[in-house]
Amino acid sequence: MRFPLHVKAALAAGLLFAAAPLVRASFTPPTFDDEEESEEGEESAEEDGPDTRYFAVVGADIHTGTGEVLRGATLLSKNGKIQAIGYDIEIPGRDFQADVPSAERGYTTEVLDATGFRVYPGMVAIESSGLLGTGGDFRDSIDPFDQNMVLGLGAGITSTGQGSSAVKLKRYVSDGTDVDYDFDGVVLRDKWYTTMSYNSANSRRSLREDLERASQYIREYRKWQEDVKSDKELKEPSKKGVNGSVVEVLTGQIMAKFRADSREELLGIARIAQEYGFRPVIDGAREGWTVADELGRAGAYAIVTPRERRDKNELLVRDGGSSIENAAILHAAGVQIAIKPGSRGVSLGGITGRDIMHLPVEVGFAIRGGLPEEAAVASVTTVPARMMGVAHRVGTLAKGRDCDLIVTDGDLLHYQTFVQWAVVDGKVVYDKEAELFFAHIRPRAETEVAPLQRLDAGENEEEEEGDEDDDDEKDKKKDDEDDD
Amino acid sequence: MVALSFASLALAGVALTSAPSDGVALTSGSSSTAALERAPARQDDASARAAGERASVAIVVDKLLTVDGDDRVHAPGMLLIEDGRIAYVGPPTETPADVERVTIRGGWAAPGFVDLHTHIHSGGFGDVNDMCRTVNPELRAGAALRPGNRRIEVAVSGGVTTLFGIPGSGTNISGFGVLYKAKPADGYDGCVVADPGGMKVAQDSNPQARAGDFAFGNTRASMGWALEDVCDRALGATREGRRDPSLENLQKVLSGELPVIIHTAGSEGVINTARMWKVKYGTRCFISHGSFDGWKVAPAIAALGVPVNHGPRTMDFYSSRNGRINGSAAEFTAAGVPLFSLNTDSSVMPQEEFFLQASMSARLGADPYQMLRALTIHPAQTFGIDDRVGSLEVGKDADVVVFDGDPIDPRSRVLRVWVDGAVQYEFVRGKQRF
Amino acid sequence: MTLCTLLLAALPATAAQPATPDLLAIKVGKAETIDQGTLEHAVILIEDGKIVMIGEDLPIERGIPVLDRDPEWTVMPGLVNAYSRGPLDSRGGNDANPGLRASDELYPGEDFYGDVLELGVTTLGLYPAGNGIPGRAVAVRPRGDTAEEMILRDDVYLKIRMRSSGSDKKMLRKGFEDADGWIEDEQKAREKWEKEQEKKKKSKKKKDDDKSVAGPATPSLDDDDGEYTPPEKDASAEAFLQLRSGELTALFAISQASDYLHLIDAIGDEEFQWDLRVPVTSELNIFYVKEEIGARGCRVMIEPQLSQHPNTLRLRNLPMELSDAGAKLVLVPRSDSVWGHEEWLHNTGEMVGYGLDREVALRAVTLEPAELLGVGDRVGSLTPGKDANLIFFEGDPLEPGTRVEAVMLEGEFVAGEVKL
Repeated sequence: MRFPLHVKAALAAGLLFAAAPLVRASFTPPTFDDEEESEEGEESAEEDGPDTRYFAVVGADIHTGTGEVLRGATLLSKNGKIQAIGYDIEIPGRDFQADVPSAERGYTTEVLDATGFRVYPGMVAIESSGLLGTGGDFRDSIDPFDQNMVLGLGAGITSTGQGSSAVKLKRYVSDGTDVDYDFDGVVLRDKWYTTMSYNSANSRRSLREDLERASQYIREYRKWQEDVKSDKELKEPSKKGVNGSVVEVLTGQIMAKFRADSREELLGIARIAQEYGFRPVIDGAREGWTVADELGRAGAYAIVTPRERRDKNELLVRDGGSSIENAAILHAAGVQIAIKPGSRGVSLGGITGRDIMHLPVEVGFAIRGGLPEEAAVASVTTVPARMMGVAHRVGTLAKGRDCDLIVTDGDLLHYQTFVQWAVVDGKVVYDKEAELFFAHIRPRAETEVAPLQRLDAGENEEEEEGDEDDDDEKDKKKDDEDDD
Repeated sequence: MVALSFASLALAGVALTSAPSDGVALTSGSSSTAALERAPARQDDASARAAGERASVAIVVDKLLTVDGDDRVHAPGMLLIEDGRIAYVGPPTETPADVERVTIRGGWAAPGFVDLHTHIHSGGFGDVNDMCRTVNPELRAGAALRPGNRRIEVAVSGGVTTLFGIPGSGTNISGFGVLYKAKPADGYDGCVVADPGGMKVAQDSNPQARAGDFAFGNTRASMGWALEDVCDRALGATREGRRDPSLENLQKVLSGELPVIIHTAGSEGVINTARMWKVKYGTRCFISHGSFDGWKVAPAIAALGVPVNHGPRTMDFYSSRNGRINGSAAEFTAAGVPLFSLNTDSSVMPQEEFFLQASMSARLGADPYQMLRALTIHPAQTFGIDDRVGSLEVGKDADVVVFDGDPIDPRSRVLRVWVDGAVQYEFVRGKQRF
Repeated sequence: MTLCTLLLAALPATAAQPATPDLLAIKVGKAETIDQGTLEHAVILIEDGKIVMIGEDLPIERGIPVLDRDPEWTVMPGLVNAYSRGPLDSRGGNDANPGLRASDELYPGEDFYGDVLELGVTTLGLYPAGNGIPGRAVAVRPRGDTAEEMILRDDVYLKIRMRSSGSDKKMLRKGFEDADGWIEDEQKAREKWEKEQEKKKKSKKKKDDDKSVAGPATPSLDDDDGEYTPPEKDASAEAFLQLRSGELTALFAISQASDYLHLIDAIGDEEFQWDLRVPVTSELNIFYVKEEIGARGCRVMIEPQLSQHPNTLRLRNLPMELSDAGAKLVLVPRSDSVWGHEEWLHNTGEMVGYGLDREVALRAVTLEPAELLGVGDRVGSLTPGKDANLIFFEGDPLEPGTRVEAVMLEGEFVAGEVKL
């Protein structure tokens, strides 16, 4: 990776400040300690209590998203965080542990037998619209019953960028008691980027001014930080005229996102980003394939739509216009690629294969253009997670990460593959057989039906899954749960 | 189905029999190792192609999907092109020294795709609707054909080789379509197969919005009358042996010489179309679109034996009101519609993404191999051109597409396309067209 | 029980109605009492507008006028519509006006009241218009020459709209913050007052001491041991303090399942009495949280109307589902027009046809809304001591085609031709 030091600092700072986002009004420049991410995975040390929730997927081939595939492995999560992935993992409360007195257990365990299926990290859609309701601060506006959210989960998406925030498709799952929903858990990050533009003489000038002032300020601030140790009276440098978001970009807390397609713009962005030492996110990047090396050297990220088609201006001799090979060429030059479809929302109008529900299809077109499969999967998992600064939470399956995963009946990118289950924060939030949308298409064979076992606190008996209370749906649900 | 009036073609070349292979399956996953190997060197400059050079060439691939009557698959397979036609299909065999032999490792060969509902002949959406009169049986889309337009160039890089370019659905009868091959460099005479190729009728929805004549044709009733009136007049002219230039082509439709494509959607529209054009006038009609809840009358359509050319909407959620995402291709094929084919209605869907109609239909419940048929042999049979295109069989036009995997997987790239035996597209890294 | 001598009614009687005696016994085939089930061959004794006795085959003392409609008539309590705008026509806004009262809009002369009364609606809850927090509802009897005569009880509930939106959640939270703010202010004011008192006492003592030393002093000017007066409450603080103390209840108008989750989030740890208003829409998705609502046991106010499972033609009986899940059901007319009130019982009957428990249905148009309005001790059931608000039918009140034969409001026949 180019600029490893810079990136590391940016990431570390990004992670730190994701937890406590800066408000522009009360701006405080960050420290640059190379602090590693902490906290994550710590809570597994907690004692089990009645609220402790174990969830395990067993029997599936687990694609962790880091290149590893564990055949027939087990993934165990506790309270929504992955606790272990591998073999011979003890699942608390599972029947073979029946020697543990039930009264002492005092926690719940759900086990999803996904033998014969595949597990992938839930996909991260870098951009989408309308999957969580109407918008604003999703903590206060999310519709956790929204049909589009269900369809998004059915399409394998568990996290997404919406506006400048990163959010989770946290569907509400009723357990038949009082409301239990973590509204704060919806938002992974409030603001992961600020928009910059480089598409006119004016915007170019003001961008340069902003960057100049901000970097000047950062230099002064750092100096002050040193000097103030010896001279306590020294005044903090003035923030006047300094764009706080730009400072955040330069200090690696947030990304700078450009909407740019033309070769000239892309080159300009690459130059200015290198000059000021930040990694730009380029949304569109249609002609990126013609300047891929420059973008690679600038450490750019790109959000591309492989199927975008725009013929080049025939009056120009040089290369231009769209190319199906765009993602592949950019990737080969070291640009990290996230893929978004042409239509960001759910479209049920009848023309299919072009909307957010068909992210893998869009990715398929990048592969058609030569993008390696691994990079293609990364373009809808790890890369967008990294771009949004939430890679320590989502995008891969590893100990300490959020238990957001999908169980599919085949290769993630094959056109016939369906998501059978989607899991967010260690809860099954989507079951193909339990929803009307796709249940009729290649229904899971009786033998394949993986029963969802539920072991309730203090009870050894499995109970019927408290589900969507839809009678017909319930009937369809095959309840042939059997003891192991 | 009445055969078209194309000259029947003599079987050319060596008639080697090919052994049927066992199961036909489009397995998932694309091969990334596909590579081109060619010996001896091939002339591929555009001028040679434009001149329609008809050199003999043998294509050897890992998998050859013939989509013939027996669904033969040769793995590996070889196909010999001679004089623009297919001279041999079967397992790889010796070829004469003067025959160019192209071996495409990891390649899957399939027949060129046949799209019966497209509007890209004029280069876009322009020049497709003449909004003056309600019925326009004298108009021909052929007059607007621009064989070298960019969209056709891109289409062929997506494996589309035969297109029926038709007028829009702005009026009840918007005119006659032109059947042509995707040979951008060959000019009108080089690419046109039949002009007129068939008639376009729009029976539902669009023409109702504004069907030409002021305040007429805005309801199903007036449209029905307009269509029946003009048909009856054409029949009258035929009976009386009267020559009417404006009705000449329509007379050919009513006599079964030319097919008629009927834009119609929704269940009532579909069934009314079948009634009027199949039962009453006995034409060689086929339903195009059949979208929304049109699939609900699939059994009735199957019983009447009317082919369905489906698209660009292949899914219905809102009209069917069963809470399901209904893949209508799956429903039509399950009901036993005799000839089920797909279309793009390009540029509603990009022409080059024709195959995606098959993959998405397969996703929503249809059989993937049946969907490959819906791109190839079924549309050919529907239009009565299956003696020339739609499958890889000896004697047919050498319209061959080689992919590096499952032809309906978006991940599979098109490596090379021959139309009438000439290479029309070839994959070159860095210059991949689609 | 002392029975008064029979007096011929000197009550103001309408021209169409013969005066109803002050003391009257009514015999009917069936009485839907609501709180004691269905009585056969019921006798209801009414005195001074109140029900004094009800039972099966009760002996009637000689001399008491008897209206004998056994077995053809069925009686049930007058209907209570707890959610009506009736003829009120103000518009309302989008902000918080917890001090506004629908009762201030009341104009007794409107035909609406007489019209719905004739249909058997004997109690109405009139709510203030608007989004946000439009104000307080009032319970009225649809009769009277002045607003005061009509009002049964004011400030019966505070209507609050709650959607899945930051502004609505903020509005609710702010209400309780205002209440907390006042409590703080009040505490400060009290402390200040107490300190001042203390000071005064001291200075007085000092003065007294001084006096003793320094001879006669000037008399104290601020010598009044003034009563402590707490600071003024603004409308918001007042309303939310009333909610906390139970003087006022809240009615949250929500329109989809997610609103309910946000409501629970916005309520947080606050404890107060609240109920729900959920208008039926064609594909209402409230069933997603019916168990949660049922677990709370609150009332849900909804129209007797079937809806469809989203995107399908499958019918759902949401009133039934909510009731089965444990919610207390309050049914309101599908339309707030006179026509809507006319159809109300039949629509309720349809719900019973689609599986809603009959007793729940009858309660949902009488006692449950009465209790929601806080007038359950006066109306809503055929219980001794309650107002004699009765509707008489020939046939099952929930069957289409059954007509209202007569309506009695507080012991007086106000509709129907009744010959004693």
